[in-house]
Amino acid sequence: MTKLAPAIAVLAGALSLGGCATKDFVREQVATVSQRVDALEAKLQTTDSTAQSAMAQAQAASTQAQNNSQRLDQLNARVDGIEQRMAERKRPRN
Amino acid sequence: MIIVLMALAGLALTAPVPAPAEAGARPAEHARSGITPSAATRRVADWIAASGDNASLPYAIIDKKGASLFLFDAKGKPLGKVPVLIGIAEGDDATPGIGTKDLAEIGPAEKTTPAGRFLARYGLAAGQQKVLWVDYATSVALHPIPPGASKKERRRQRMLSPTPADNRITFGCINVPQVFYSQSMRPLFQKKGGYVYVLPDTKPLEAVFPRLVVDTAVSGGV
Repeated sequence: MTKLAPAIAVLAGALSLGGCATKDFVREQVATVSQRVDALEAKLQTTDSTAQSAMAQAQAASTQAQNNSQRLDQLNARVDGIEQRMAERKRPRN
Repeated sequence: MIIVLMALAGLALTAPVPAPAEAGARPAEHARSGITPSAATRRVADWIAASGDNASLPYAIIDKKGASLFLFDAKGKPLGKVPVLIGIAEGDDATPGIGTKDLAEIGPAEKTTPAGRFLARYGLAAGQQKVLWVDYATSVALHPIPPGASKKERRRQRMLSPTPADNRITFGCINVPQVFYSQSMRPLFQKKGGYVYVLPDTKPLEAVFPRLVVDTAVSGGV
């Protein structure tokens, strides 16, 4: 038993030291990953706000296009009406 | 467990049933008359209903490939579907200046029914007749089979045939059945007109209706 005691002590020391090294390593890795996640989250927020702004602009442009299109339709109808009164009347392409 | 199942069954029974406007556009209903809306027709119909592109006017969707017309009221409620006759030539554009040509001057390749979105309105044509102009600039109108059409063209038979393959015969105008025209189209379009959406033969749908892409993206469909 007395012969085994130093060996057990050495083994226990090695194990405990090894455990400490592993924890530090993990902490370092976690810190690195955490920084990356933070950076990605910040980027995601920026992208999200850009996308939302783009969507709002697209929506506004779409509404504007619809209004323009309807105005154009009305103008076209007026021009067609004037042409029908002024010019020689057309024959449909049957 | 049994109680949960009974509760779920109860919920299913009280779940909202699609409104007639939605249900009407489903293939099953169209299949009754032998005309089924294509995927493109359904897509355009859904877009119009969702975006209000028809500006509170009645509208018709013409599927050239299926040689069929789908009519909707101002609120998007489907009112009917009929076979149509269209331009003999395949193509989605109109030759520049075709609107000023006589029928005899129009070449075979020019006899297309142009694709696009048109505000159709009644207006005057030669001979003091009133017609539903789909695109006045290119002289495309929507009307029943003209009485003066050549017998050789067999327009009536083509319209009645079950296949859309023989429905390309006109100079570019859109011919619809007489009863449908007088009972459905004319009453609906004669006051303020309405929109006519002509689906393309060859062009991509998005090229003919660019707002289809924008509105779909904005509503989260892409």
